[in-house]
Amino acid sequence: MNTYPTEYAHPEALVETDWLEQHLSDKSIRIVESNEDILLYDTGHIPGAVHIDWRSDLQDAVIRDYIAPDKFAELCRRNGIGPDTTCIFYGDKANWWACYALWAFRLFGHKNVKVLNGGRDKWKAENRPMTREVAKYPASDYPVPNERRDKEIRAFADEALAQSKAKKPLIDVRSPGEFKGEITHMAEYPQEGVLRGGHIPGAKSVPWKTATKDDNTFKSAPELAKIYFEDAGVRPDVDTVVYCRIGERSSHTWFVLTYLLGLDNVRNYDGSWTEWGNKVGAPIEKSS
Amino acid sequence: MYPPKLNNIIELFETLPEVERRETLVNYAESAPRQEPRPNEKFDLEDVRKDEECADKVGVYLQVDKEGRAHLRMSLGPEVQTLTRAMTSILCKGLDGATPQEILDLPSDFVTRIVGAELVRVRSQTTYYVLTRIKGICKVYLDRQRAAAAA
Repeated sequence: MNTYPTEYAHPEALVETDWLEQHLSDKSIRIVESNEDILLYDTGHIPGAVHIDWRSDLQDAVIRDYIAPDKFAELCRRNGIGPDTTCIFYGDKANWWACYALWAFRLFGHKNVKVLNGGRDKWKAENRPMTREVAKYPASDYPVPNERRDKEIRAFADEALAQSKAKKPLIDVRSPGEFKGEITHMAEYPQEGVLRGGHIPGAKSVPWKTATKDDNTFKSAPELAKIYFEDAGVRPDVDTVVYCRIGERSSHTWFVLTYLLGLDNVRNYDGSWTEWGNKVGAPIEKSS
Repeated sequence: MYPPKLNNIIELFETLPEVERRETLVNYAESAPRQEPRPNEKFDLEDVRKDEECADKVGVYLQVDKEGRAHLRMSLGPEVQTLTRAMTSILCKGLDGATPQEILDLPSDFVTRIVGAELVRVRSQTTYYVLTRIKGICKVYLDRQRAAAAA
């Protein structure tokens, strides 16, 4: 008999579309849209939502890395986000980039973060209000975080390698074709400059989509527990590393493992396959 | 260097500040359905398919009039991204009346002049996809014309 959880570990990390529509004027929240389609926010968004772009806002302009703490504080200040503001993230692609932005906010220690269950597609499918008016908020006084929590929730290539060698849970959330090494990018997506196909030795294939229903909402806690604990061998007492191609799909899985299943030892390897597949000397496994 | 209608669009975009550039791109994207084939329109070539470079099905329809000038229509699936929709409108309008050879010879450097460096990024390479598809149908048309002339 299994002991799978019957409820999400942190149900407060999700908000439903109904709830959000009733709280659009709530001053304690800030709705944050983050998309792959870089003009999608401009075509219309949830009233009051601000736009945070995964690249121009969250990544360093020169080094492949995230922004420094002072830049994060500036980003929050200009979007009227205070240290206690509850940020509710949503976006296209079943919330890939919303989860990525949420994970980046957690890197800087921002505590109150939630995801809109079902994301932009569900909100739109339900004909809920959209606007083109760009929300403006008075600048906040967000303090510069003391540090970035890289060691806690982020993995680098050498740590992914150590995870592989120690045979600890390593979850590859890309499509099966990418995992097997048949392709080096998602179907329907342009090649993003990866020289080798395959996966990190020992990684288990659990495509991100496994965690969601057809309407992009998350599956139930027992379903998620079966997928990750029983089928993929993830264990609460052993740390887990997740990766994809550039870290956005794995942010989605990181959110599932951390907030819905309650693991406190999951790290996102954001260098992911665009680093590993090009890295000199990095071991690669292919499978049929 | 560029067909006159396209040149006008390029020059317009180059004068726009970033916010207005984005607004104008969104307006072009929203007018993309107007470029769809209309009932009873006849085309010399049709090319409807879904490629890896694009998130959904894209159709290109070419009609060449008696003066040898190209007229394009395009259909886009619902998953096609906003920037790609915008480029569809811009190119259907901007290349209307150019010859297939002029379209084929068109350099692609104008794309960044319209879209701006900020919006061109790895996953926006599909911005170039529409131009590639339009050039592709023009090449097939010209190859067939040459083959027919040689026969």
